[in-house]
Amino acid sequence: MALLEVKNITKRFGGLYAVRSLSLEVDPGQIVALIGPNGAGKTTAFNVISGYYRADEGNVYFNQREITNLRPDQICSLGLVRTFQVVRPFQGISVLDNVMVGAYARTFDSKIAREKALEVLKFLDMHKIADQMASGLPIASRKRLEIARALATDPQMILLDETMAGLRPTETEEVIAMVRKLSERGIAILLVEHVMKVVMSLAEKVLVLHHGELIAQGTPAEVVRNQQVIEAYLGEADVAG
Amino acid sequence: MTTVTSSRELPMYNRVVRRLFGSWDQTQLTFSFGLVLLMAISPLIIRSPYYIGVIILASLYAFIGISWNIVAGFTGQLLIAHIIFLGLGGYTTIVLLNNFGISPWFGILMGGVIAAIAGGIVALITLRYGLKLDYFALFTIALLVAMRTLFLKWEFVGGAVGMYLRLETPSVAKMIFASKLPYLYISLILLAAGVIIQYLIYRSKMGKYFIAIREDEAAAAALGVNTTLYKTLAVMIGTALAGVGGGFYVIYVTYIDPTGIYNLGVNAEIVMASPIIGGLGSLIGPLLGALVNKPIAEIIRANLAEARSGITLIVYGLFLIASIMFMPRGLAGLIHNVYDRLRTPTHQEEL
Repeated sequence: MALLEVKNITKRFGGLYAVRSLSLEVDPGQIVALIGPNGAGKTTAFNVISGYYRADEGNVYFNQREITNLRPDQICSLGLVRTFQVVRPFQGISVLDNVMVGAYARTFDSKIAREKALEVLKFLDMHKIADQMASGLPIASRKRLEIARALATDPQMILLDETMAGLRPTETEEVIAMVRKLSERGIAILLVEHVMKVVMSLAEKVLVLHHGELIAQGTPAEVVRNQQVIEAYLGEADVAG
Repeated sequence: MTTVTSSRELPMYNRVVRRLFGSWDQTQLTFSFGLVLLMAISPLIIRSPYYIGVIILASLYAFIGISWNIVAGFTGQLLIAHIIFLGLGGYTTIVLLNNFGISPWFGILMGGVIAAIAGGIVALITLRYGLKLDYFALFTIALLVAMRTLFLKWEFVGGAVGMYLRLETPSVAKMIFASKLPYLYISLILLAAGVIIQYLIYRSKMGKYFIAIREDEAAAAALGVNTTLYKTLAVMIGTALAGVGGGFYVIYVTYIDPTGIYNLGVNAEIVMASPIIGGLGSLIGPLLGALVNKPIAEIIRANLAEARSGITLIVYGLFLIASIMFMPRGLAGLIHNVYDRLRTPTHQEEL
């Protein structure tokens, strides 16, 4: 049984289809990558699934329950949480407080939220910066904070929006290791990613979006050999025919 | 006590220091109560009723500042014309007393209830139509003008003349006292309650959610924060306290009229100046700010009011501009820096 089931969602902006009749499934604990050229509609798809945009058509199911057009906070409390492409830490408060905001999703008790937040920070090896202000963090730590906050909400599934963008190769390795750790906890992951190395090393299944439509899916090895995918990324081999 | 930890072996003195000044939040609470206590014993030294009056209004400004701080400082909602809710609380209290003979002790609380209901309606309307930031601010200013017009025309509440307390013989039930001291202690009890309420909110889940909304609303929603609910809660708590403050204000100054209360200039002095001078979003800011704001406003008025009409407002405005320019995080920000510097050497051992 699929954990996340997206059925034929469509999102239009004016006359432009950002996402057209997109369907996808993610099983419990699975890592799935959503790739595609710039403007393919990946982030729009994320925004529809996580409740930030209203779907014009189609349905989203999570754990067999329909979540189409619920509010982001309702979707989060059902166990589906997202991160943002452009990181959005709560700047004026500490790393620990940032993660506590996530932890409060499951409790009213500040003591429990604090323990949960510390546990998450320790798990992700970030407890040494717990007392630092989020505003002073370097970009790599901000990306990790984004994941830590999401993890603190106790999700069954995380949507990661271009977590590796803007990172140096060694930092990318660290975040890849982090995503693996999440996966080992049994958390399903749907990630949007441009860095192919990340996709190849993490994803069990790859979905390719182009102009808002799904043009290919399969294992990473299958997808990179797919002719349509190559054309979408590089343009057609011989335009003049 | 079988589990003896290292902190238990510390001398009593260290434990007390840690309890009172262990974190910046606790330090602010400790200083707040210190200041309330100072104001409470001030009549031992200050005899003049005029100066006692200044202290009463300073403590009331601090209380009202706290009420605005919860909305504007914690959740970052620009509820500029917060004085609307002071007015509602004030009118409620005086109407209940004059027209129905209901004691202000109860009337002030009802003022808070009415103001909170009005605040809830304002929050729901603005959130329903997605009015945020500057648009929300403009909406509240428009509402202030509408309220002034409404109350100017509304004869039941005295129209343009406003309403006056019927001054009778002193009576505890009617909150009329011959001396200023009882007023001072009532306003200090209000302030102490405000300090505690603000602190408890700040430390709770609700407070963390308020600040998450201020820092990034979309990110907060992603982490499970029902932003509409929590923004409405912040407005309702803030306006409830403002209504209570307005109720007491009217009882103390003995009258209320539409142009005097539904007034942006008065709003700047009573509501906004103290938290901004003291440090918006901090716990001690409204109180520190009020202790600077009210005396300075009085000094300017006492010395310049006769020189030329309007000059007091210009000088007071310049003072506000200067304090924002040179202390963007307010007095609390300056003290916080000192606190961090003092604390750094001992900080490591705790980790």
